[in-house]
Amino acid sequence: MNRNQLYNIAETWFQEQNWKPFKFQKDAWTAFLQGKNGLLNAPTGSGKTYALWFPIVLNYIKKNPDYRTKHKKGLKAIWITPLRALSNEIQQSAERITQDLGTQMTVGIRTGDTSAKERARQKTKMPDLLITTPESLQLLLSSKGYEKVFKDCTAIVVDEWHELLGTKRGVQMELGLSRLKAISKDLRIWGISATIGNLEQAREVLLGPETVALKNSVLIKAKLNKKITVKSIIPKEMETFPWRGHLGLRLLEDVVPIINSSKTTLLFTNTRSQCEIWFQKILEKHPEYAGEMAMHHGSVNKETRVWVEQAIRNESLKAVVCTSSLDLGVDFAPVETVVQIGGPKGVARFLQRAGRSGHRPGKESVIHFLPTHAMELIEASAMQQAVKQEAVEDRIPYLNSYDVLLQYLTTLAVSDGFYPDEIYNEIKQTFCYQSFSRTQWQWLLNFLVMGSQSLQSYDEYKKVDVEADGKFKVTNRGIAMRHRFQIGTIVGDANISVRYQKGGYIGSIEEYFISKLTQGDVFTFAGRNLEFIRVKGMQAHVRNSTKRTNKVPSWMGGRLSFSAQMSELLRQELYTATLETKEQSIEIQSLAPMFAKQREESIVPKPSEFLIETFKTRDGYHHIFYPFEGRGVHEAMSNLLAYRISLLSPITCSLAYNDYGFELLSDQQIDIQEVLDNDLFTTDYMLGDLQKSLNSNEMARRKFRDIAVISGMVFTGYPNKGIKMKHLQSSSQLLFDVFKDFEDDNLLYQQAYTETFEHQLEEGRLRLALERIAQQETVWKQCTKATPFSFPIITDRLREKLSSEKLADRIKKMTAILMRK
Amino acid sequence: MTELIKIKDQNFIMHASGVLFWEERSTMLISDVHLGKVSHFRKFGAAVPQQAVQKNFDVLNESVAFFKPRTIVFMGDLFHSSLNKEWGLFEEWSAKITAKLVLVSGNHDIISPLKYEDLGIAVVSELNLERFLLTHHPEEREGWFNFAGHIHPAIKLTGLGRQSVRLPCFFKTKNQMILPAFGEFTGTFTMQPTDDCEAYALLGDSVLKVPIKEVKKRRRSAR
Repeated sequence: MNRNQLYNIAETWFQEQNWKPFKFQKDAWTAFLQGKNGLLNAPTGSGKTYALWFPIVLNYIKKNPDYRTKHKKGLKAIWITPLRALSNEIQQSAERITQDLGTQMTVGIRTGDTSAKERARQKTKMPDLLITTPESLQLLLSSKGYEKVFKDCTAIVVDEWHELLGTKRGVQMELGLSRLKAISKDLRIWGISATIGNLEQAREVLLGPETVALKNSVLIKAKLNKKITVKSIIPKEMETFPWRGHLGLRLLEDVVPIINSSKTTLLFTNTRSQCEIWFQKILEKHPEYAGEMAMHHGSVNKETRVWVEQAIRNESLKAVVCTSSLDLGVDFAPVETVVQIGGPKGVARFLQRAGRSGHRPGKESVIHFLPTHAMELIEASAMQQAVKQEAVEDRIPYLNSYDVLLQYLTTLAVSDGFYPDEIYNEIKQTFCYQSFSRTQWQWLLNFLVMGSQSLQSYDEYKKVDVEADGKFKVTNRGIAMRHRFQIGTIVGDANISVRYQKGGYIGSIEEYFISKLTQGDVFTFAGRNLEFIRVKGMQAHVRNSTKRTNKVPSWMGGRLSFSAQMSELLRQELYTATLETKEQSIEIQSLAPMFAKQREESIVPKPSEFLIETFKTRDGYHHIFYPFEGRGVHEAMSNLLAYRISLLSPITCSLAYNDYGFELLSDQQIDIQEVLDNDLFTTDYMLGDLQKSLNSNEMARRKFRDIAVISGMVFTGYPNKGIKMKHLQSSSQLLFDVFKDFEDDNLLYQQAYTETFEHQLEEGRLRLALERIAQQETVWKQCTKATPFSFPIITDRLREKLSSEKLADRIKKMTAILMRK
Repeated sequence: MTELIKIKDQNFIMHASGVLFWEERSTMLISDVHLGKVSHFRKFGAAVPQQAVQKNFDVLNESVAFFKPRTIVFMGDLFHSSLNKEWGLFEEWSAKITAKLVLVSGNHDIISPLKYEDLGIAVVSELNLERFLLTHHPEEREGWFNFAGHIHPAIKLTGLGRQSVRLPCFFKTKNQMILPAFGEFTGTFTMQPTDDCEAYALLGDSVLKVPIKEVKKRRRSAR
């Protein structure tokens, strides 16, 4: 069959659905059938699955002209999705094609939810098209004889690649691809990504820099010209609008008319706890929504979530309060309106959410921005500019992740074993390990086999053995089993399932929250008030309660940093505060009372000014700096500055930062004049100082937790066997200390530092920011109390610590607290 | 390096390494050493630096040299798990020690008592010395002062500027003192101060009595 005949099949199918293929879909078909690899840049709900499922099936038809009567068995294509919740949806669209076109192809799913029976069945008979997650793909690589399974695979599609890129799951994917490339000779690799700042790089990471695969690839962009309108919800009484907070309940009543005037409204919150609270409060104030409103977040049980998704499609819900759990996948045509509660912390995410509404071609997407505190109105205004300019963030890929590579090598050693030279050549083709040296490689191999760099006496270390012919292999069944349980790179807090005492699963909560409850405590979860009874194994038993409560489980939300471009927009927006009212955006106009308050003791800085505020509260001495450079830069700058200050005299600082500025809080007063006189904002020795600052704070320690788990040094326990994660946390902390004391040249220990430094703290942007500050006039305001600008920062509880004081000296000023009820 | 405390007219010296020395009886109490833990982890494929093994013995030797006790009582969890090669190191160590060795066995002590007895170490479930009761798990018994381990106590200190530090400690209440874990690769459990408690934090090179401040629980105002 020639290509035109194949296109005919596809176009006929589209006509039958009364659809017309988009250009990007046809472009993808062509490129795929030409044997090219590629990256498809298309948003959710644009028909991206048809852009790639079609050529996969057409390619099969091409190779098997008698496809209607005969079935050639074996795996043909793999579809990787980062969220297993999306796999059913993807399966449906694939099956639509395979069945409508009269092929006998089968579509299967393999994720953590797949039953052992189904997995065993797949092992003997793989489906033609397999939908799976990055972790499950690795698990396949850990089973014996995997090469045979993948040998004839013609395509692998990595969906939502932007979600994986910049995470260790992405690195895991890179490694998996490097292996598949070697096994399957006729493999096309495709990625699908939403718009991010570094799309070209995303393609390079997916296919490997300077590889044949990259040279034979295309980047296809879906130009859908979607109009997005951002509307800010402006508080009517600005004088009483809070300066801080993250809930936004103050504006609850303003959301009601929005809900009433559209068919279905999605209310996006940033955390699951916020989601719970909003759901509760809306129902409390407006009981008339009962039955027409639902909640959707990652900890709600699966059945409920599926039900909610279905109900959105059926148009039987008026409003759904949700979190990023509804960011991806799932096409909801009936959604007319989207409300974003609180700053979305990222333009890409904001665009994605906006795109949830008005899902028909040509229809505009409307997103309402609900600020939770005054400063966020500035963000709301800047966000409108950002949407216009598509100022989306980059996703920065990891480099030289020893932990993920160790896990991968163990995986290969668990299944069929590996020969180091062969695998070294493969990983050198990946983006992550492109500059990996032979020395580093040898270090890893030693570590796998000996648990150190030389044989030691009294040692019983056991993991990977080297066979006579040089093959690296795990022979111990216990080690193999433990490793399989632990494949993955997402290290979260342990989850405890919440159940009624009489049975009935409600959802899961981080252990951290449960550990703070005592019997009889009432908390809100999954929209219910629950009384805590006890923890049994990995389950928390509860019963319904009628008591009111303020306790809501909190979850750590991902905190993205603004892009340089977005930070610039934010600054520009703020600077308009000094302009005439008529030249200001409506958001900035509405902030006039706050600006007035800010000016009482301080200033609203002009572009030429760098503002520093100092004041004392009962928490200690606050020193606030406002570079307006975005969270990531502030994180780095606060560490750098605190380190340099700590060199002047022994001091301990607690650090907090947001997108506007950062704070150094201490029990001592810092002499700002001394800071300025000593030129502590200089770019000289910036890199070295930054590196040294990491030794005096806790960032590397926290990074190490993930590294210890991913590299297999800390065992997280068997699923459902009730081995608590407390052990993991403390063990990785303990391990960190042991490495610090005895083996600080260990590459995994070192990785904790380089990761913080290279991945988290953006060095380039920091330099530019410091250079900008050098051009500005510093305005130091000594205030008597906290200013509106400082409020969101000083009330932040998530803090970094940096100290140059001796422990004994610090302790002298401290006490243990005896709580009186 | 040390801090003296009088309990029931007897003198006890707390050492920064976590051992407690009973002067009148020349007896050194050591709890939760967890020997063999590092080797245990390594045997199961977790590459904990092996040098940590030696550290336990080094600190043991320093404490013994410092107090020169006639008796050493291990207050349980001397060995973390089943027999491994660290036992050999322990054998060598115990051969060099002139003091009498006693093990009050704990939940982790699953190695056969016969192995200990071969080394001349008596294994008991508890020790009653004068009015003092030595156990692994903390116990309350009328008329007795209890020394125990098991908990791995630590105390949290807070200060101005949102500072906080957690340190292992000796945790004393009216009729009980819980010893800190001695072992190099062991974790801690943070104790909540109570009415009659005293906490002595280990600072590495010194022992410090922790000041305890009473604070009324602030009710979180409803939003």
